[in-house]
Amino acid sequence: MTPENPKLDSLLVKLDQSIQRLQETVEFAKPNKVPLLLDLTRRILLLDGGCAALEERAQIMEDAGVFAGSDWANPQILVPSMTSHAFKSGDTHLLAIEALSELRLLVVALGGYRHPLIAAEQAHHYVTQVLAINLALLFTPPGEAERETQGRHAQIPRLLLKHLAERIGYEHIIDRLIDEIWRILRQRPIQVETVKQMVTQIAICQQNPAIDFGGSGQGADRLVSSLYGVTQACREDPGLEIYHQRLQPMDSKALQSEATGFSRAMHDTGLVSPYHAVLIRHLLEVDEYLLAEALGLSSTGRDCFMCYRQLALELIRKAVFPATAQSIYGLALMFERGILYQPAVAPSLWRQLNLQLSVQATARLTTVFGSEVPADTRLLAGVLCLLGLPLGVGQGNNPTCQSARALSMWAYIDPDYLLQMVVWAARDDEIMMHFEGEAISSREAETGITKEFSLDLDPVSLLVVPHLDRVYAEMGRRCIGRQGDPHRWVNPEFHGWWSGRGLCINIDVATGGLHDLDGFLRSFYAHYHPFYNGNQPLIHPQPAGIAITDSAARFIGWHAITLLRVALDHEDVMRVYFYNPNNDSGQNWGDGVVVSTSGKEERHGEASLPFPQFASRLYLFHYDPLEGGIAANVPQEELSLVKGYLMRSWGADRPQPEPTLQGAQVDKA
Amino acid sequence: MEKNPEKGYVALLGWCPNAVEAAEKFDRRYVVVAPEWAAEYCEQHQIPYVSWNFERLNDRSTEITKTLQDMGVDVAIPLFEETVEWAGAINSVLLDNPRLLGQSMLMRDKSLMKRRAQIGGIRVGIFEEAHDREDVVRFLKRVNQTLLKLDGDPNDPIHFKAFDKAGCLGHRVIRTPDDVDSIPDEEFPALMESHLDGWEFAVEAWIHEGKIRFLNISEYVTLGYSVFVPASPELEQYRDQITRQVEKLVKTFDIEFGQIHPEYFVTSDGEMYFGEVAYRPPGFKVFELLERVYGFDAYQASILVFDPKTTEEEIRNFFPKEVVDAKGYAGCFGVYPRRRVVSRLEIPEETEDHPYFESHELTPPLEELVTKRTAFGTHWGLLYFTGSDAGEMKRLLKRQEDLDFYV
Repeated sequence: MTPENPKLDSLLVKLDQSIQRLQETVEFAKPNKVPLLLDLTRRILLLDGGCAALEERAQIMEDAGVFAGSDWANPQILVPSMTSHAFKSGDTHLLAIEALSELRLLVVALGGYRHPLIAAEQAHHYVTQVLAINLALLFTPPGEAERETQGRHAQIPRLLLKHLAERIGYEHIIDRLIDEIWRILRQRPIQVETVKQMVTQIAICQQNPAIDFGGSGQGADRLVSSLYGVTQACREDPGLEIYHQRLQPMDSKALQSEATGFSRAMHDTGLVSPYHAVLIRHLLEVDEYLLAEALGLSSTGRDCFMCYRQLALELIRKAVFPATAQSIYGLALMFERGILYQPAVAPSLWRQLNLQLSVQATARLTTVFGSEVPADTRLLAGVLCLLGLPLGVGQGNNPTCQSARALSMWAYIDPDYLLQMVVWAARDDEIMMHFEGEAISSREAETGITKEFSLDLDPVSLLVVPHLDRVYAEMGRRCIGRQGDPHRWVNPEFHGWWSGRGLCINIDVATGGLHDLDGFLRSFYAHYHPFYNGNQPLIHPQPAGIAITDSAARFIGWHAITLLRVALDHEDVMRVYFYNPNNDSGQNWGDGVVVSTSGKEERHGEASLPFPQFASRLYLFHYDPLEGGIAANVPQEELSLVKGYLMRSWGADRPQPEPTLQGAQVDKA
Repeated sequence: MEKNPEKGYVALLGWCPNAVEAAEKFDRRYVVVAPEWAAEYCEQHQIPYVSWNFERLNDRSTEITKTLQDMGVDVAIPLFEETVEWAGAINSVLLDNPRLLGQSMLMRDKSLMKRRAQIGGIRVGIFEEAHDREDVVRFLKRVNQTLLKLDGDPNDPIHFKAFDKAGCLGHRVIRTPDDVDSIPDEEFPALMESHLDGWEFAVEAWIHEGKIRFLNISEYVTLGYSVFVPASPELEQYRDQITRQVEKLVKTFDIEFGQIHPEYFVTSDGEMYFGEVAYRPPGFKVFELLERVYGFDAYQASILVFDPKTTEEEIRNFFPKEVVDAKGYAGCFGVYPRRRVVSRLEIPEETEDHPYFESHELTPPLEELVTKRTAFGTHWGLLYFTGSDAGEMKRLLKRQEDLDFYV
């Protein structure tokens, strides 16, 4: 508090009074009192030192119920990119609540507030991303449009971002942003819109002579150039039209150099420049032999491309546009994976090329992605991305980890089944699956786990997940009344025959207490650890359940993941490599358990942990009862190590409420 | 809060979140009687609730009485003008006192109310009932003839009030026959009154066992725009006279318990004229203002005086001493957009920076084009002020009339 600011002081007195009044208000009447609090917040935000004063009070304001009943009450679901809308809004209450939420997360990020729903590290990621997405606001005065809609309130986001940047650390902010972007990109997500926004913001700020980054921001060049100036002919971001004209007179050699430039940048970052799409479409007409070069294909990919040349050309023609440039990367990786050699895949893709979308599917795609390209093109591009990057699919802000995991699994080992699902959802607006011989239609199933879908999904998930979610929930309903955990029956029926029919769970479903830990862990080691299972690599990806903990190792919720591989890394540490349907797998689970996403021999999209650490967070896995090693061979020291991790984290305060279907509770760490 | 089964069980007629909150925090058992649309909310928040549609009294009306009686409810409290006669009807059964229905009907009909007041020896202005527009024109002419106006002189205005509307709704000031044409049909029948040049103010009084237990004077700075409590010393000097007037009213209307909200004029020679009286909480959030300066919850005060099981001691402990116990003044101002086209809400810095400014409940405009105001109409939201000086409060509230909040 600054003593020389009587205006702020008097407002703070009023704020403290109204916080107190809100605390005393009975639950149902709180929403009536909140506007007053937000109005005071707004006025305080306008003053020097206001952000700091609110930061001090953020926790008590949240405890008093200022966010109750709104999205902000669940910070773990907030999307950083939504802030740019709120910051430009003329609705001062929206502005105030958004700002207050950021300040609250700042306190969480700095460790001043242990939030029950979001860990310090996540809050830190969030605040950094908010800064990245709104970078321009930090450095530029309000434009005409903002002054018009916001008046003097246009200062609020600026003062707020300045405060956030100062608290988080100004000089490192750009570099941290860049690290953050690279960290996300190394996981090769299908959805790269947010990343692109952040890169664009950095690019805009770099261009602005009024903004001085000092020595920071060097690492941004590769990112910015991979989107806006990949090659010689588009170095200065000339616009798609001009680039297209520049391509016309080029000879083979010049085109080849363009092709190489693009493909290198694409495989390097996972980002695809819209210029790349212009080049590819040009090559389609003038020199299709350079296409393999432009896709950056290895001999495997090139071979596949040549074998299915006609299909490949048709896919490019239909799917690759500047607006769907990411599909180029999906396409390239799909060839590299060689999945076209599975007999059913190529014909399935021919069907996809000619698919008539239902009215609902078209509307859904257009609502989310706009109509720059037709809905079926959008979907095809999405299909290519999913087939190329099976581990790049995320659940968005929906508690649908099961469905996202299923999509990923099918894209990974059963691509023609995935293509079948896409057709059912997109053409028929209905998915039919069978549970113990009985058909379940996604149309008849009442509701899924998720009531309202957030739309931050890739095109395939957008169409398929709502159906899967309903079917999954219905399967769960049909298990009501059975003894034990419903995943035993649901998972194999839902995911595929390869999900082991054996099931181990270390929770007593009725009481929520831990149950037969030793037996559970011995079994897991005997089935999955190569030292104890006869050195048998994992064959099919297996669904598994983990207890997510936050960076303080406190239990957050149950979560669905896929076991992909178990192998030694280059330091001879036995690691479990797994897929996490969260959008960002890099998470700190506390007590030294930090999920790695790169640098430990992870393939793109994989997360990994040393075997014992992973086992300590596992609560449910499937296995084949006819296979596996001898459980008794697992040494007691190894089990003690795992149990130590377990009891220091989510096992500490058991029993807890019993686990329900994964995804039905808090889903994200 | 822990409920005391020894005390009364009250029914709140009408949906008012602040009243529900007050009841929740009070030791009396309560039930909310409100239309169906409140059901989901009440269920969600475990608020005791009975669904009832107050649209009109009909043969099913005994049902609600029966329901409440079976539940063991002792008394019904009206929260809105529209529920006043319902409370009367219900209470006449619950309290076995048939007169209560008649009393409530008097409160609902502005013309009957005036006549009753007149019979009780209370001064009222010249008034008449109007059934159509011709009646209005005739009354306007007659009043101005009485005032010895010549043709062409500007008319003294008359006031036109729909019979059964609350407060400023349906209240129009008529100056010319042209104004008469703008009155919609549904506002007839109505009461017409001569205009009194004077100081208009309102009273909120809580009555228990026929006696006034707390009497607040609310001062209007400009009718329909602003009000503050307690009244300024200039108006409070009439407190004794005002108290006597209200006592007369209580006697004339035979009010044993409850909360009344009469309006008066005091003319320059100190004469009091009765305007009207309502048997319900006032509009303009006066209850909230009272809580701000006196610290007691006015809804709880009403529950207390309605509850037949309330003791004398409880009453004495509950109410503070008028004026002397008030911590400063609290006022509010109703904002109307002044421009024809508005695009956003912006509180003038002058207002916001004033040390008295407390808060506002204005929301961003939903439409750009502002509909023309007819009657006194509904404001778009309130501004709240608190401060220690009545003079400054008055000046401040007046000043707001010249400012734009929607631009």
